[in-house]
Amino acid sequence: MAVASEKSIFFQALDIASPRERAAYVQQACAGNEDLLTAVSALLLENERDGNPVDRPLAAAFLPTGVQIFDDEASASQFPPGTMVGPYQLMERIGEGGFGWVFVAQQQSPIQRRVALKIIKPGMESREVIARFEAERQAIALMDHPNIARVFDASVTQSAQPYFVMELVRGVPLTEFCDSHQLDMSERLELFMTICHAVQHAHQKGIIHRDLKPSNILVTLQDGKPLAKVIDFGVAKAIGQSLTIKTIYTRFTSMVGTPAYMSPEQAAMSTDDVDTRSDIYSLGVLLYEVLTGSTPLAPDRLQGAGFDELRRIIREEEPPRPSARLSTLDNDLARTVAVNRRLVPETLSTAMKRDLDWIVMKALDKDRNRRYSTAGAMAEDVSRFLSDQPINARPPSTRYRFAKFIRRNKVAISTVSLVALALILGTAMSVWQAREAIKERDEKVIALREARAAEHAANEARTELEKFNDRLNSTTVLLAAGRANADAQRWADAYAAYTEATQVLPKYFLVWLERGGLNAKLGRWGVAATDFSKAVEIGFPIEQAELSGVAQVLRYAGELDAYDTLCDKFRRSDVNDPMAVAARGRLVGELSSPEAATLADRAERMLSGMDDESNPTAIHQPKAKFHRYAKMFYGVNLYVAGWAHLKAGNYERAIQRLEESNRAVWFGRGIADPLIAIAHHKMGNAEDAVRCFDQSQSMLFRLLDESIEQSKGSPSIPWVDWVEFLINHREASIVVKGHTPAVDPRLRQVQKLAEATIAD
Amino acid sequence: MSEVTQILNQIQQGDAAAAADLLPLVYTELRRLARHKMKSEAAGQALQPTALVHEAYVRLVGSEDLPKWDNRGHFFAAAAEAMRRILIENARRRQSLKRGGDRKRFEVAEDDAIIDAGDVDELLDLDSALTKLALCEPEMSKLVELRYFAGLSVEESAEVLGVSPRTVKRNWAFARAWLGRELNSDVEG
Repeated sequence: MAVASEKSIFFQALDIASPRERAAYVQQACAGNEDLLTAVSALLLENERDGNPVDRPLAAAFLPTGVQIFDDEASASQFPPGTMVGPYQLMERIGEGGFGWVFVAQQQSPIQRRVALKIIKPGMESREVIARFEAERQAIALMDHPNIARVFDASVTQSAQPYFVMELVRGVPLTEFCDSHQLDMSERLELFMTICHAVQHAHQKGIIHRDLKPSNILVTLQDGKPLAKVIDFGVAKAIGQSLTIKTIYTRFTSMVGTPAYMSPEQAAMSTDDVDTRSDIYSLGVLLYEVLTGSTPLAPDRLQGAGFDELRRIIREEEPPRPSARLSTLDNDLARTVAVNRRLVPETLSTAMKRDLDWIVMKALDKDRNRRYSTAGAMAEDVSRFLSDQPINARPPSTRYRFAKFIRRNKVAISTVSLVALALILGTAMSVWQAREAIKERDEKVIALREARAAEHAANEARTELEKFNDRLNSTTVLLAAGRANADAQRWADAYAAYTEATQVLPKYFLVWLERGGLNAKLGRWGVAATDFSKAVEIGFPIEQAELSGVAQVLRYAGELDAYDTLCDKFRRSDVNDPMAVAARGRLVGELSSPEAATLADRAERMLSGMDDESNPTAIHQPKAKFHRYAKMFYGVNLYVAGWAHLKAGNYERAIQRLEESNRAVWFGRGIADPLIAIAHHKMGNAEDAVRCFDQSQSMLFRLLDESIEQSKGSPSIPWVDWVEFLINHREASIVVKGHTPAVDPRLRQVQKLAEATIAD
Repeated sequence: MSEVTQILNQIQQGDAAAAADLLPLVYTELRRLARHKMKSEAAGQALQPTALVHEAYVRLVGSEDLPKWDNRGHFFAAAAEAMRRILIENARRRQSLKRGGDRKRFEVAEDDAIIDAGDVDELLDLDSALTKLALCEPEMSKLVELRYFAGLSVEESAEVLGVSPRTVKRNWAFARAWLGRELNSDVEG
């Protein structure tokens, strides 16, 4: 199905007024290709015909009317318990937010386990979401921390809604847990420190949470001790809610409370100027709430505020210090807050006076340069507070440090004081004071040195992290620019963007995969194979959609080591993929017949799954409609099944499936011809073999002519199909004709055209 | 300066990632506007998607900014896509109501009844055909979104896509014929 040629014939034909001349032109242009002639004639017929669906004005009645909840519920009802979403079976719905719904689900393969499945509501760019997730996936996979819920996977549902698969955490939100278990101050602070460590761990891997709030921190009891788990790391970014205040404001009703945790720079609506220090701010808000029972900027005020007022409050208003907030509580509320923290109301504010105030206010600084530079530093200060050491948040003064010293050594000092009093002698007192003064000075010098060293290390770590973050960010931007330019067929620009990405973050597999993909699309096989080898060398998770065709190009360009490494990974992974990426990659290489038989079985199972109405994944698609969506996959899998049968030595079945693939509607229609020729040859049908080979030959010529005619380095069929066809046609020539085909001069010409696309 | 204007400027300055932030904003605004209009306007009054898209533009970008057309191009491309999405989601919702799965949970709204079931199927078919067209001719499918879903004229579409009106006319003829062929072959098959 060569769309580009039918397009050029169609355009030419439009310019010919006389119906007779037009028909003659079309006849001649299709050059005896009956399929093409039928296709073009159908187009011309449709062009003349009235009543095309796009001619009628769009029915305005399709516009939404009901209230939000109506739409949401209707789409939520697409997911009753028992529905299969990928390999996950939904069980119960456990949550709903502005973004989507959360389900408990049972994963069936490769391992059986319960997971939490978050389905994003329709209306967010699903392809974009998954692409962004892919970009972050490697970093997310690197996170391994007892206080972070793992994110396992992301994909799209049948109705094109993105979903995330996460570790299932059965817990309650942080603040709720603290109050219902009546944790005292130090228990609260201990728990909070574990959260800081989790956030620190993620930051070191280059992941920013962007949406830290109590409902994203779930606490359970494990062995009688509270265990906090931060959920949704990496999700906020992927769903592309850059969580600017606008997006939050527009969904205010469903996300009440969220603006309270938002940093001033997030409120400033700068779309992508969010870094790890925004999370530090949110940690400050959390600590504030854990200590006082309310957020720094009271939620009822935020809720009552208009959009601009809301922004102003978050960016400008200084919240009261936590101790001040507590002292202004009215009696009832103070009692609740105190009871929950096992304190008597009077000691409530003195308990956290000053030091905790300093810690919280430092994290909440409007200027992010003055906040803690890392979550670890914040945890460190909380820990110092708990062990009565001087904290960093506070500008040190001698009196302050000495006061701390006295509290730490309370018993010793009072004994000494009593003795001193008993002696009444001023001399003894002076001696003691002198000794203590020296000791304090020494202590100060040491502390200062330690503090300097720690600060230096922290600064270095921060710069390193910031550099990595910056590089990752700019890489993501460059890749997006590359894709956009490639979509608009500005090849040189796309290539330049990808190339820059390979320079900024050369250790990132995706930059090589994407540039290789562009090269392959343009028909530049050699350089594409070099890029792909790089990616293979770096290593990557095997479920990448970008892997389609990679193995084939490596094989075609003779990068056999990289090809073997990749196929080894394919062999060991066990993903059921409707695009048969792994199977196609392996089939171009050498394969034992039992291995081929396994691939054939799998493709057959995939086909029967697509065909079978009782298949649970097809539940929400009436048969006809489902077929239309799945037509493409169906064609691909017919071809893959036939190919695998051929390699397994099952020739009759191979021919049957391959011929079916030639009748199915998919872009690679026709690329099965060389394989059919080989199958006939193996069965001893010399005549059929030659006939099919000739057919394959004429398809090759047609595609080459088409490329040359359009001055392009590759024909309009997908490059995966094209490279496989080239490999298999060559193979068919050897098997059927007994010799490698002479290099077609047109092939060389096409190669030149391919190189020229980037050169100019 | 509004957030949308800010994003448009970022795109203009070559920040391709900013484009991703545009769609959700435009989508939300269009939905809000549509719902508001449908409630407040007298029954039977036709509300055209194209009017909505232009009103959303004035609301989100403001008319006083007078940005260059190139700038507006990104907006209308996003608006057309958002409009398509809104209409398709609602068509899907109607279809699922029609199948009766949720009758006891949802009242059928009055205007649900006005729409012919055939229209719903036709729109959904058109949508999937268009998705297929986008696979081989992305620019053509964009053109259909602009003209059909956002109601732009030939000249406006030409500005948005950065091609001549003549090219738009020819491409439109092809896309229209292609879609017609796709939809009719499905009826036969």
